[in-house]
Formats: sequence, C-alpha cells, structure tokens
Amino acid sequence: LGSLAFAAVRPHYGGTLRIAIKDAPQNLDPAILAEGNSGNIARLIFETLVQLDERGHPQPSLATSWQSEAGGQRWRITLRSGVIFSDGTALDATAAVASLRSANPGWKVMRNGDAVVIETDSPHPDLPAELALLHNSIVRRGGQLSGTGPFTIAQWLAGKHAIFAANDHYWAGRPYLDSVEIDFGKSDRDQAMLLDLGKTDAAEIAPESIHRARAEGRNVLSSEAHELIALVFDRDPQSEDELHARNALAFSIDAAALNNVVLQGGGEPAGALLPNWISGYGFAFAPDAKPEHVREERGQIKHSPSWTLGYDATDPIARVIAERILLNARDAGVTLQLTSAASDLRLVRLNLASSDPHVALNELAQSLRLPAPKFADGSVTELYAAEKSLLQTHRVVPLIHVRSAVALRPIVREWRTLPNGPWQLSNIWLGAEKP
Amino acid sequence: MSLHRRLLLLFALTVLVSVAAVTIIVSAMARRAFDRANDQRTAALVAQFRREFDRKGEGVDRRVEALTTSSEANRMLIAAARPAPDYSNFLDTARTIADAQQLDFLEFADDHGKIISSAQWPAKFGYLEPAAKPSAPATPFLKEEETPAGSALGLFAVRSTSAGEGKLYVIGGVRLDKAFLATFTAPAGMRVMLYENFGRPSGFAPERLLASGPAVQDAGQIAPLIRQVQQNSRESSAVIHWRSGDDEGITAFPLTGADDELLGILLVGSSRQIYVDLRGQIRSAAFVAGAAGLLLAVVLSSWAAARVTRPVEQLARAAQEVAAGNWDAGLAAGSGTDAGPPSKDEITALADSFHRMTRDLLDQRERLVQSERVAAWRELARRLAHELKNPLFPLQLTIENLLRAREHSQQQFDETFHESAATLLSEIANLKNIVSRFSEFSRMPQPHFQPVKLNELAADVAKLHQAQLAQAKIACDLQLAESIDPIAADPDLLHRAVSNLVLNAIEAMPQGGKLTLRSRQNANAGHIEVSDSGKGLTPEECANLFTPYYTNKVYGTGLGLAIVQSIVSDHGGKISVSSEPGCGATFIIELPANREKLQAAQGTHV
Repeated sequence: LGSLAFAAVRPHYGGTLRIAIKDAPQNLDPAILAEGNSGNIARLIFETLVQLDERGHPQPSLATSWQSEAGGQRWRITLRSGVIFSDGTALDATAAVASLRSANPGWKVMRNGDAVVIETDSPHPDLPAELALLHNSIVRRGGQLSGTGPFTIAQWLAGKHAIFAANDHYWAGRPYLDSVEIDFGKSDRDQAMLLDLGKTDAAEIAPESIHRARAEGRNVLSSEAHELIALVFDRDPQSEDELHARNALAFSIDAAALNNVVLQGGGEPAGALLPNWISGYGFAFAPDAKPEHVREERGQIKHSPSWTLGYDATDPIARVIAERILLNARDAGVTLQLTSAASDLRLVRLNLASSDPHVALNELAQSLRLPAPKFADGSVTELYAAEKSLLQTHRVVPLIHVRSAVALRPIVREWRTLPNGPWQLSNIWLGAEKP
Repeated sequence: MSLHRRLLLLFALTVLVSVAAVTIIVSAMARRAFDRANDQRTAALVAQFRREFDRKGEGVDRRVEALTTSSEANRMLIAAARPAPDYSNFLDTARTIADAQQLDFLEFADDHGKIISSAQWPAKFGYLEPAAKPSAPATPFLKEEETPAGSALGLFAVRSTSAGEGKLYVIGGVRLDKAFLATFTAPAGMRVMLYENFGRPSGFAPERLLASGPAVQDAGQIAPLIRQVQQNSRESSAVIHWRSGDDEGITAFPLTGADDELLGILLVGSSRQIYVDLRGQIRSAAFVAGAAGLLLAVVLSSWAAARVTRPVEQLARAAQEVAAGNWDAGLAAGSGTDAGPPSKDEITALADSFHRMTRDLLDQRERLVQSERVAAWRELARRLAHELKNPLFPLQLTIENLLRAREHSQQQFDETFHESAATLLSEIANLKNIVSRFSEFSRMPQPHFQPVKLNELAADVAKLHQAQLAQAKIACDLQLAESIDPIAADPDLLHRAVSNLVLNAIEAMPQGGKLTLRSRQNANAGHIEVSDSGKGLTPEECANLFTPYYTNKVYGTGLGLAIVQSIVSDHGGKISVSSEPGCGATFIIELPANREKLQAAQGTHV
C-alpha cells in the first residue's frame, strides 16, 4: 500500500494534457499575442530571458545573470549555454539580439561576446522584469517561428486545434507530458461540457462562475485578481463641466454590486489601476460608490452630457456591466447610450502584463493610451505617484480587478498559475484515473 | 356679343353645370359609400386588436400567475426572508425563465419593490420597480418598460406571492412591437401601426412609429394626427396624402396605461386608392361627358342659329339697310327667310311686322315725296307768278297808257310812246333776267375738281367785295388757319357759293357791321365760315333757309342759298347755319378733303 501511495503522487512521464480555451489565435507569435490564455499557450513554445516568480521577482530563465551599469541605462545579460531552438539551432547572443531588437525598436541591443547588452535612453531599473514579458520572448524567425520552450508545435490548425509535443532537448529537462492538445474557440458552456464528459483536462472558468464551479465541487485553480475592468475615455476632459460629469459618473458606479452580483464575487472592486496585492497601496484608492460625492459633482454640472459607452458585444458580462453603468450614470445625471461601435468611452478588460508593479503600470498606461510613467529608482513612492498621476488625468475609471481560473480534472498534477495569471506547465504531469 | 355666341355660351354653360353637378353628386355618394365601408373595416380591425390584446393579456396573466408558485420564486422568497438578502445568484434567473415562458419582460421584486432579477435589464437588480406594489392592477395593463436599448411598450401582468413575512412580486409582460402587429390579418389595403408615446408626450418621434409591414416613409406626415390624440386622448381621424401619391385614411385610437397615461396610439390605416381610382374614373367620365356636351352645344347652337338667330340677324341687317336708305332690303327681309318655309313663330311674326313697317314707311315716303313735289310745284308756280306778276303789271299799265295816249294827240302819244317803250324794254329785260336765273338754277354744272386752297379762296372773295363792304360800312375780318392742306373742289363753284354767302351777309347788315371769314381744317375735312353781325335769324328761318324759293327778302328769288347748298352738296359736303335773333348768323361750309379726287386732280393738273 505504501509503495502504491507513493506511486500515485510521484511524477511520471507520458500522457497528453487536453486544454480547452475560449481564445482562437491565428498564430502564436509572442510579438502580437496579448497576455491571457493565448499567451499562456505560447509560453509552452517560447521562453523569455527572465521569468518572474510568484512574488514578481526576476529569476533566471534563458539568461543566467544580468548586471546594470551606468545608473540603470545599460544592462549586460549573460545567456544560458546549451539551449537550442526547436529547429535545432543553438541559442546564442546573435539570435537573442535579433529577437529583442524586433520586439523593442526603442532599445539599443548589442552583442558583446556571448552576452547581450541593452542600452536605454533613461534609467530602466525594471528592465529584467520587463524582459519577462511575453512579447520579449526569444524567437527565431525563419520560415517558421522557433522557440526554446518545453514543447514544440506538432500540429497547428489556426484558431481551432493544436498539438504540442514534448521537447526532448529542453534545456531544463524533458517535460513529463508527451504532448499537449489545445482546443481553441470553445465557449464557457462548451468547456464545461467537455470537462464534465472527460474530453478535456483543463478548462477556463469565467470569474463570475468561480464561485459556482467551486460550489459544484470542481477542482478550480484561480489567480489573484489581475484583470482590470475599467472605463476609459477617448480624450481628456474638454471643460470643467465635463470634468464634473466624469467625476459624477465615477462616483456613481457601484463596483461592489457589480463584483458581488454580476461577477458573483469573482473579483475585487478597484479604486486603482494596480490591485492591492501587487502594489501594496491599492486600499488607499477607495472603490465604493459615494452618493454624496455624486450629488456634489452633479450639482456643478451645468449641461448634462450624453455619451456613448462602447463595450465588447461578444462578452455577455461586459454587456451586463455596461448596462449597470448605464443605470448608475442616469442616477448621476449623465446620459449614456450603449454601442459596440466607436464611442466616447469604452468598457475595457485588460490583463496585467506582469506581476512587477512598475512594469504592469507601464504596460497598462500603454494599453490605455495614457502618458507613460517614468521611474528612476523603482520605489513604491514613485509608483504611487505615477499611478495617482494617471488617475488624475480623468481618462480612466478603474472598476474591478477580476481573477482568472481553470478547472482541472483530478488527474492533472502540478498545474501552477502565477498570481497575475500565467500558467507554468513545464512540470505538469498526469496522474492515474480513479477507477 | 352676338346672339349666336350668347346661345353657344348658354348651351355650353348649361351642359357644363349639369355635368359638374352630376359629377359632384356621384363623387359625394361614392365617397360616402367608401367612408362607410372603411369605417366598418376599421371597426372590425380594432375589434380584432382588442381581442388579440385581451388574449395576449390573459396569456401573460396566466404565465405570471404560474410563476408565483415556481421553485425559483420560492428560492427568491427564501433569499428575501434572510436578514441580509443576497440576490447575486438570481442575476440570470429571470432571463432564463422568461425565455422558457416566452415572456419578453420578466422581473422579480421583493416586498420593497426592489428588483431581484430582471430579464429585460439584468443589471437592474436593486433598483425599484414601480409596478411592484400592493395596488398593482389585477388585470393585464399597458406599461412603458425601460430596457438598455430604450423604452418599450408592453402588455403586463403583476402577481405576488408571500411566505411568512416575505413577499415576492412577479411582473411579466410581452412586447407590443412589430411582431405583435404582424399577428393581425388586415384586409387588403389596410394596415395597423403603433406609435409608442414615450419620452416626449407632446411631440412626435418617427422612430417610435411601428408598422406591421415595411417602415413608414415620411412618417412626419402623421405627426399632426399623433399630436391631436396626445392633446385630446380621443379617437381621431385624418386623411394623409403621402408624397408617393397615395391617399390613406388613418384612424388613431389612444392606448392608456394603468394610471390612464397615454402610452401608445393604435393607428389603423386604410388606403383610399380604390376611392381615388373611382374618383378618377368619375372625373374622366365627366370630362368625356363635358366634351360631348360642348360638342352638342355647338351643334345645338348652330341649329338654333339656323332656326332663330339667322332670321334675327337678317332682320338686323335689313334694318341697317333700311336705315341707310335701301328700302328694298327691308321688303326682302320681311318676305320670309331662306332657312325654310315661313312659320307662325315669333321670329316670323317679327319679320312680317318688319316687312309691313317697311312697306308702310315706303308708301308714306312716296306720298311725302309726291306731296313735297306738289308743294314744290305750287311754290314754284307761286314764285313764278309772283316774280312774273311784278313786271307784268308795269307792262299792262304802260300799254294802257299807250292806248289812252293814242286817243289823245299825236304829240302826247309820241311822248308817251317813247317813255312807255323804255319802260316796256326795261320790264321785259327784267322778265328775261328772272327767266335766266331760274334757268341757271336748273342747269347747275357738275363740279370740276381741282386742288383748292381755302385760305386763298376766302381772301379772293373778300377782295372781290371789298368795295361793296366799304360802301356798306362793313368791316371784314379774315380769321384764317395758318396752314390748310388743299382740298379737291371746283374753285369757281366754291367761289360763287362763298360769294353768295358774303352777299347775303352784306344784305343782312344794311346799317353796317362786321363780316368774318374763317377757315379751319380737321382730319378729313376743310371748313369755311361766314359770319355777320346782323339781326340774325329765327329758328323757323333757319329751318327753311335752304329750301328753294324760300326768302325773307322783298326782292329775293329764294335761290341764292339753294344754289349754295347745291354746290356744297355736289362737293360731298354740307352746310349749316347757327344763329339767334339779334346776334348775327354764321354759315358753316364743311367740305371733305376728297383725297382720292385730290390725287387724281393733282395728277391731271401736273
């Protein structure tokens, strides 16, 4: 019995992990994929020089070490030896330089012997964390994309189906799984059915369904609340009247109700762009609706505005949230009209690109087309000031940070999800089916 | 306007008025019949709407009632009964149930009226639903329902259920929209429309007008009718003239909610194309009838002209001829018309009368001419007798003296003979003179036309009689127009005529006076006037002045002015006199220019 029990928990090789996701990517180029589950799939094929651990600290990956020079404007990165791409060529500084130059046109990336040197115009204290972003994956671009990840592409049907085979030459050792099969474009309902029928081993769980999935006894792994739902205006306020109207709208939105009812507790009301778990100061931006502030701001509106609110019509939760905001806005004296076309303000869902707060804030600012924050020393004070400055543009209203989650069949072992969502599947293995 | 034209106009007007009257009457009857049929069809369609409305209401009521006992309702009741109710699990409940129950609207609300779950607006949880109250209507009612896409009109039912202290309201409904309108089977040419009266109670929004078929083009044309119902909340009708050319009669019925607020307006439209086509046909027929009538009027007027106006026109022409002196024309006109055999109608009687009148006038004229001829001969005889008697009496006395002298001595006879012979010769010469003047009058020559300048002629006459005028202490005043064109006249005859007038004037002023000769000219005639300042003439003298052998002088023959008149008449002119007793007299000779004769005379003269 003892030996049997040990065998049940001991990793073993073999088997195919089947995953169903909603995304339907047409290719897996990390340069164009956004963070999310498509990106998570891409991380099976491609790797970055640096990876972040669960606390958001840079850890060696394809790079073994890095040193900053010239006050953080120059970085020297030493590459790991013995790494080969899936096309059989070895990873060297030339390949790494070519990949990084392609992903970061603003950087000066040079080869220095076996090392890679990166120079920036201003101090870049968070460059190692930035190197862990998906789009900084090291990719050899020949006829096909080649990576150094634990799996290689065995079959690819764009947007439908993919089979990844274990990379026998993986520098960290062959993964336990023989292959990973991905079904793309599966709806939440389809994924649940596939999981119940045992036709997939892992399926996404929408934030609003986490509570129910757990209540139904599913094996659910969830991340920290890392996806930001926010309202974004397409321009700066043009008048004091509009400024008061934006404030009234922001104060009127009952984010707690949205989280509790619409998202079924699948997130956290957000007053800041970065969640509290990543910044440590998120609590300072109170997210609750403030009726008294609504009245105050509404009293200063001379002409009630009428705006169009855009949302992703394919996302039912986005629709419900938008409709709730429409009601809240009416209470604030602001008339909103829903549209899925171009609009005055948009309801957006953005994944945090990194668990490093500075990198995450910078990426968010870029995604929201807000002024990029500047960091000199990477301190929390600097981060707080930068985020506050972004919020004071009145261009963005944070609403909720939501979690991501997967439901796994019991045979799936060592599935790890980082706090900001990425999957770490290199050590995953499949256990035996229960009789 | 001639009688013929009047008759034509009268006939045409009669026909046109008749056709127009018939057209109007027939059109009015057709319209009345169409309106009656239209009203019946509209009433039938409205009745169908009410039946469908009631049927749908009953269906909604039944389903909502059933939902109050559903397991979901019980779950909500239990959740509502908790101290801190958590409705998060019911976000999609209402939508799921509404889909299953085929309800467009479904909301569950707690005993405070707060929405627990909403199918039409899931995000509305926590907001108050006005219909969730104990006094909600027991029967289905119309209600304006808010949705994220805007307001919608629905037929609702409200039911409640309770457990313990908890109470749950179920508010369900179906939408009154194009699909609802499409359930009506409207007869051909009819349609049903629905106006959702939201937002702007007194305005009109074209997008709120729903139709069972294609969207209503130019919906703004219905706006006045909508506003009328909005103001009065009563049934109203109007005929809409669409820009496409169609006419449509639309009857609007107000649809009110539980609190009698105007929520919708049912519009039943009926195309008036059938009536318009019929009206067009009536008008076409009227035009054809009118044209035929006009043609008939022309024919009838021609016939009437033949029967009536032509004899009248002939009579009118005959009267004009008679007035011009052609008495034979009058006799011909009165002897019957060429339009057919004489009849005994009024026109024939008029022609006969005209004929008799003309014949009588002709007889009277002949009798008058004969009388005047007899009178003239008598006057001539009297004048001759008078003229001849004066020289004959001295002749008789002279011869009697000679006879008495013959009985006395030879010497006395000789003396008497010589004296008597002289007397006899003188009187015989006098007789010859009398005879020659009568002979001269009877042999007045025809004028020989030449260009004559009236001013020169007047001046010559004045110069000729200058000595006589001076002797008679008469001043002569020539008032001649500055420029007078020559006229065609016989200068000798005209000189003689003016001289006669001057001599008459001299004789009329035995105590002296003033003689005035004037000349003037107008467009077609020249004038010469001879005025004296004598004792003037009585009206009777003026009337008889130009009668031959009439004279107011002791020794006058009465032929002087007759000769003047004869000369003027031979020139185609006329002479007149104006005088008052004591104020002198003025003789006016008017002579035509005779341009054709003048041109001929000038040609000859050249």
